[in-house]
Amino acid sequence: MVQSILDAISLGGLYSLAALGLGLVFGVMRLVNFAHAELITIAAYTLVLTAQFPLAVSLIFTVLVTIFVALLMEFSVYRRLRGVNPAIMLIASFGLSTVLQRVYELMFGALPRSAVVAPFLRGDFKIAGLSITISSIITIVLTIVILLAMGYLIEKTSLGLQLRAASADFKTARLLGVRSNRLISAAFGLSGVLAACVALILVIQNPQISPYYGLNITILSLVGIVIGGIASLRGAALGGFIVGVVLSSLNTLLGNGRVYAYSWLFILVLVILLVRPGGLLSKGSELERV
Amino acid sequence: MALLEVTNLVAGYGKVEVISDVSFTLEPGKSIGIVGPNGVGKSTLLQAIAGGIAPKSGSIIFDGKSIGGKKPEDIVRLGLSLVPEGRQIFSGLSVKENLALGLTGRRNKKGATEAILKMRELFPVLSTHENHQAGMLSGGQQQQLAIARALISEPKVLLLDEPSLGLAPTVITDVFDRLKEIIGMGTAVVIVEQRANLVTSFAEKTIVIRDGKVQSTLTPADAANSESLQRSYFGAGE
Repeated sequence: MVQSILDAISLGGLYSLAALGLGLVFGVMRLVNFAHAELITIAAYTLVLTAQFPLAVSLIFTVLVTIFVALLMEFSVYRRLRGVNPAIMLIASFGLSTVLQRVYELMFGALPRSAVVAPFLRGDFKIAGLSITISSIITIVLTIVILLAMGYLIEKTSLGLQLRAASADFKTARLLGVRSNRLISAAFGLSGVLAACVALILVIQNPQISPYYGLNITILSLVGIVIGGIASLRGAALGGFIVGVVLSSLNTLLGNGRVYAYSWLFILVLVILLVRPGGLLSKGSELERV
Repeated sequence: MALLEVTNLVAGYGKVEVISDVSFTLEPGKSIGIVGPNGVGKSTLLQAIAGGIAPKSGSIIFDGKSIGGKKPEDIVRLGLSLVPEGRQIFSGLSVKENLALGLTGRRNKKGATEAILKMRELFPVLSTHENHQAGMLSGGQQQQLAIARALISEPKVLLLDEPSLGLAPTVITDVFDRLKEIIGMGTAVVIVEQRANLVTSFAEKTIVIRDGKVQSTLTPADAANSESLQRSYFGAGE
């Protein structure tokens, strides 16, 4: 029971990190970056392929590689599409996602690559007679630390202020001096860092990396973003968390019926969207004040 | 030498030409009004100067440099700041944060604290509400915030797009009194307005735009003479 609750919280935290990465880029570009999945995937590959090095070295390398791929995406594809219809950007991100999956397949093969990453984080320990997996505790602690750091960055720093302003109204932000290229690159870089964090947590639990490794979590995080309210980062993080918790709980509660977990999840999503079409944290339309 | 010199400017959106030939000059510390009927391209003109849209042809010389087609974030750093139509304050951010965003466009990163203090002096209401969400302010307070936010970058020229929009008459008087103070401190001002009377009597000169071109130039004396104002506004013989 305790383990189930911890699993639910840790999966929720994981999805909220993924959702936050997607939400950052959506905020400044109105781009639903489907290829975020491939950022998670490349981070996972890098972790596994550098597993023979000390964890710290492997981690730093992974973060750098993921930031690089994120910036490359922005520079080579999305920068050319800035300001076009969001539907076109969405399709471009599908295309980019597919291209990267093929590239990974060519580079790393279609079969899963695997290595033991951070073996000391595996296994479990006992508290008051309860057996708890170390990875669930690590996931929760790591998620809290990253969420707090992101919260600080967004709420307290100048970069965070610029990100919030640009998410609300990019045109006006630029008139005030916010440098568009730099800010969008920063958003992509941060989404890369978050993707690397997500990959680390995922790899500890499942080190079998295939070209589609990041796909599932990205799609479910998108669902979370829609539930939470696409316009706000808080909403994105909250929505991701809810999806993770619900999915994990359904898997526990449904027992043999867990094949229907996704169906129940999406029924819940439908209900939430019927009640609050703009997402849980959406605000009503703001009245013009005179 | 003129601080801002717009010559034969052509601007618009896509293939549509909204401004077809506009020229004017502005001296340091002076004011100019731009009036004309709705949809005549006044906002387009300001957007083209501030970098919101790229001009199709013509030149914009600011402080000796050509700024036509430059990015808005670069233009504000040169010392030209726009208060956009409808104020466009960030309603979800606090008053303090809105002001802090204005600092982004400063050329000189030193003196930021002083600049904020100066704005608080000029607009005391902003200090009272500094931790409130900007969306909670009244329309007049939002306009003051938008002006203060644009002034924090210490521009040499302040462009204002319809500062009276949606404000009560007494509030409008208040806003224009502040503008007078701002001009007194040495900032040159370009005011686009629908209310021709208001701006004609306020600015040293006012240009009337019709059909994308400068139709005539008015002085404060014309504001008193409503006939000449109407004639230039709606066109002779109409």
